Amino acid sequence: MTYKKFIAVCTTYIFSACMLIHAQDISQLTAQCAANAGDVMYLKDFVVKLDPGTPGGAPPTARYALLLSKNVVYRFSICTAPNSEGEAVLQLFDMNTMLGSTFVTSTGKDYPYFDFKCQKTGVYHVFISFKEGKAGEGVGIMSYVKKL
Amino acid sequence: MHISIIIFTEINKILTMLKKILYFYILLLFVVACKSGDQGRDTGLAIPDSVLNEGLEISQDVMQNIVQNISSPVEMAALIKELGVDFSNRYISTTDRVDNLSTSFQQALNLGIYGADLGYLNMYNKTSSVIDYISAIKTLADAIKVGQFFDFTTLKRLATNSKNLDSLMYISVHSFNQMDQYLHNNNRTNLSALIITGVWIEGLYLGTQVYQSAPNEILAERIGEQKLTLEQLMLILENYTRERQYENLLNELKLIKNIYQGVTISIEKGEPEMIEENGMLTIVQNDKSIIDITPEQLTEIAETTEQVRNRIITL
Repeated sequence: MTYKKFIAVCTTYIFSACMLIHAQDISQLTAQCAANAGDVMYLKDFVVKLDPGTPGGAPPTARYALLLSKNVVYRFSICTAPNSEGEAVLQLFDMNTMLGSTFVTSTGKDYPYFDFKCQKTGVYHVFISFKEGKAGEGVGIMSYVKKL
Repeated sequence: MHISIIIFTEINKILTMLKKILYFYILLLFVVACKSGDQGRDTGLAIPDSVLNEGLEISQDVMQNIVQNISSPVEMAALIKELGVDFSNRYISTTDRVDNLSTSFQQALNLGIYGADLGYLNMYNKTSSVIDYISAIKTLADAIKVGQFFDFTTLKRLATNSKNLDSLMYISVHSFNQMDQYLHNNNRTNLSALIITGVWIEGLYLGTQVYQSAPNEILAERIGEQKLTLEQLMLILENYTRERQYENLLNELKLIKNIYQGVTISIEKGEPEMIEENGMLTIVQNDKSIIDITPEQLTEIAETTEQVRNRIITL
């Protein structure tokens, strides 16, 4: 009975410790990513952890719907967790049109963030995935820069 | 005797097997625990929320299409400040009502209202009043069991020094986002819907009140575009109308929606441009929304919003 109790306590302890450590890591990554976005006002974060994609298939992607306002400059930032296998990429879509990305395929350049001068109020989508469909963990941040 | 030995051996075998199962179970728990936070999106293995809980919940697939930032506790306040409008205590709700809010419905709704007020106070660096609002929010957050995401001690410490505004803003908004996420993850989306309704109605109240004393074209457009936000908000609330209080709340919002029916939003098409300057990437959208709202509609929205907001805080 004592042995069983010991196992139960240990399991609970390990479970709670893992949860706490993971939550703290993500919280620190989010705070750091928000700070790296510069002199802007944090609005929303998107914490993402994805499994690897299947060979030849589309990379797993986390998708978030957002309502953006006309006459506002928003900043979209991306940060990859230190232990992440893949590098995180954030893309902004208006319906099926990609408006911007933190990775520009044509030049091969990565950007920690991009600004979006919104002139149309409506629902947009943020997609976060990892390069080459690798598994990964990261956080995207949406911030308010200024009114246009 | 021989039979007893066989039975004993068999029991021993079963016990050994059970031990192995127990070890496997512990190992499995450990692995699952360390993989916590994995949202498993697009993996095809997600168990629908409806299977896990028959309460008031929205499935993960539907959630992906639901707007994440229906109401921000700071965006309307940021615009008002950028327009150069002075701060006024008249636009915010008083905190002396907190102890009278006894149901989770009232607590969640008013948590949102005070959240928007806190955003407005923070924006204008009104640190002396901020502590009252932080205390009110903490009380309500504790009441609906999300107080663990509201770091009262740190916020109180930051609020005592006006130089900590950025941190104060970040922790305040982040706490609200964490509460919202937690409510979603725990199938308590009904309370999340109430919080965002509270934030939204207080933001609209603030915007319309400011507009009445300091009319401005940009603010008029911002008020007009709330037509889209209201549609999204009502879509969410419709999921919970089997409860009378939610139905009453929805009926209140319908009063505002009726006025918005006369507001039109049209789109002028254009191609987006990508500009790189000093290593920074900027996307300029050339689609433009044109918001057609008359001064009469603005007055009507302001009056109805005030009435609805004042009724909502006592619902």
